[in-house]
Amino acid sequence: MWSVSRALPVVVLALAVASMVVLVVDGVGASPSLTASIHIGGFGEVDYYASQPIPNVPPGLLVRVFLINGSSVKPVNAFIDVYANAPSGIVHVAMGYSSSLTVPFNNTNWQYAINKWASLGIPFSGYNTSMLVFITYMHGNESWIVPLLIPYNVGWAYRALGKSTPLTATLSAATPRYIVVNAYINVNELRPSRVIPVRLNGTVTDPQVFGTYNGYTVYNCSLSGPQPEVYTSSPNEEFTPTSECVGINGSLPIAWATWSSGAIQSDSGLLIDLSIYFSGTINWDAMSTDYGDLGTSYSASENWGPQSAEFILGSQVTQPGSVYWYYGGATWGIVNYTVWYVEGTMGAYYVGTTTVSEVLYVPPNDYYAATFDYGSGPISMFYNGSITLSEQYFGYPALNASTIVEYAAFEYTPYGEELWECNGPVGNTSTVFGGVQYTLYTVTLGGVNTAYGLSSAELGTELGGLAFDVLVEVVTEGEATPLIEFLNNVGSAIFDIAGLLIPPSTSTTVTETSLGINFTTGTNLYISVINASAVYGLPTFGFILNATNYYGGPASFTCKYGKVAQIG
Amino acid sequence: MNVKSLFWFYFGFVFVGFASSLWSLLTSVLTVMPIPLPYWLLYTPGNIVTAGVVVVALLLVLYAYLGVALVLSKLLRGLVPIIMVIAFTIGLALLLAKLAIPALAALIIAYLMLIGTYSVLTSIATTRASKALWATATIILTLIPLILMAGGLALMNYVKYMALVEQAMAIMASAIEAWRLGVEQ
Repeated sequence: MWSVSRALPVVVLALAVASMVVLVVDGVGASPSLTASIHIGGFGEVDYYASQPIPNVPPGLLVRVFLINGSSVKPVNAFIDVYANAPSGIVHVAMGYSSSLTVPFNNTNWQYAINKWASLGIPFSGYNTSMLVFITYMHGNESWIVPLLIPYNVGWAYRALGKSTPLTATLSAATPRYIVVNAYINVNELRPSRVIPVRLNGTVTDPQVFGTYNGYTVYNCSLSGPQPEVYTSSPNEEFTPTSECVGINGSLPIAWATWSSGAIQSDSGLLIDLSIYFSGTINWDAMSTDYGDLGTSYSASENWGPQSAEFILGSQVTQPGSVYWYYGGATWGIVNYTVWYVEGTMGAYYVGTTTVSEVLYVPPNDYYAATFDYGSGPISMFYNGSITLSEQYFGYPALNASTIVEYAAFEYTPYGEELWECNGPVGNTSTVFGGVQYTLYTVTLGGVNTAYGLSSAELGTELGGLAFDVLVEVVTEGEATPLIEFLNNVGSAIFDIAGLLIPPSTSTTVTETSLGINFTTGTNLYISVINASAVYGLPTFGFILNATNYYGGPASFTCKYGKVAQIG
Repeated sequence: MNVKSLFWFYFGFVFVGFASSLWSLLTSVLTVMPIPLPYWLLYTPGNIVTAGVVVVALLLVLYAYLGVALVLSKLLRGLVPIIMVIAFTIGLALLLAKLAIPALAALIIAYLMLIGTYSVLTSIATTRASKALWATATIILTLIPLILMAGGLALMNYVKYMALVEQAMAIMASAIEAWRLGVEQ
């Protein structure tokens, strides 16, 4: 009989041999390895895995729902509803009541959307689209509806299904095979809606906004493609979703400047310069009224500028209006999603609703010269049409105190001309226009994040805790070698993490908008900035120039940056 | 030398290596399967880091144990793993305190001492096979930072394979040692 002391070495040997097997499986890439990870606010995480095919696990999307209550994180049943974004609208793909839902790439409805993308003929490496997922969790008479955007590349589906077209040629070598979404219903942090008994009348209201306005086509963007299988949870109970999609097709402003009639009259002769420089991968993030940034709905490599539009107020421009840079032929959708709960004999309940604004498609690298808008262009549409739409669908005005930034002002005082820098720095540069040398005072805004600290979906740190934070910090300083190498004893998993931190070689993204203005002594000019990203998720900034006060004529405003300089 | 005490170090080393690689394999496969899973079983960055911290903590305890056992056996080279554990602990503490530069200094010392620890393990190995395996693992451990310094993070994939080989060698060497110490002596 073996003694314990004799059995232990055998155990060690067996474990060592087993470890070898596991390491080999890992080494040849047979097990899934994490290629990217995205956090969406505090309510979602998307992890991408490259892997060899696993039997009986079809490649595609897997949504899991977790309930966070205090410190407990548990899988929970919820109504999971998945839509695919297509260039011109949304396609209802799959739904179910469970703690997890699988949608394989070869799902007919998803394929319908994927084919719409392929028919554009743009190489798949040039852009990423997304899936729109709604999670509805109901507990007693309280409910939560969380929308999430899951970015993916159409080429991944092709590759996972073993298909190839010329469009897949430029894809990078390794592509994810599995996209796993973890949705978190945090009942301590997310505000619930109330479940209300209703009488269903079965009619869908027509938004009454479809038509053509100022070069924009507003249309129903719920694509009449295939519908998902009818879902039933139990014979008598059912969640019924309805989604209205208002599509807006036309120019998507990149940057604009608007001047009032007051500015024309009192600041005649000033040189205005609106410059843009967008280069690299531009992300358009979806926004919702209840949850803010929901993640990137569309991203593409764009290459704009640097480009400048220069003109003189009062001579080249004689009436109030705007100058703008734009993407033409872009599509933007506002999706209003509502869930009803029908219980056989007990009747129907209204569970809740949420609204998502998302950019569906922007043509690649299109170039249009800066254009003026005197009341019938996209900027007027933005001020008039979108605001009306946003009031109708979002329930609040698009341009309110939180979206307008009182940035800077030129003020003529008894002490001379003063420059007030209220919400950020104002630089200066010189330019020659019409043979004349001008000194321009410039307001330069970076990307959405840098300019306003708007949190876009980014590398997750939230549930990873401090250690990951620190790891990221050190690695991004490029000095993490010893730590990572020490951690190699942890197994190859840590290399997945390290791999996530390697910036792709072409990741330099410049998103820069600047407004330059010269001044003459006596100039009174107030520069407000509209942060359209906060409402629509567009990386778009508008400048508004007024002669007597900031836009909207606020009685008071905060001047956080608070620098005043005597300039003349 | 107290043979019994070193046996437990090798046993622990193999066990931790096995458990961590099995965890990584199982969770990564389970995560992509359409079955309900508790959150801690998901192969997410957060969980990977948590598992990493647990494994590193276990390894530090093992190395500390190795150092003490060697010193008690009158082998002063046991101080190398002890210094490594202390330097690493200090480095990690500084890192958590967000003092990146001093943390880096401590971690570099810890890494050098880790290479030293592997050399110590090579020197005390009792068979030719395990000696050769530890020696090769030591060389790989020395090369990895040099390669990363020369080629940057872009070489991470190659380094991953080197690390896998290094890990496999260290585990095999430990298993051989454990076998010899447990069965033949």
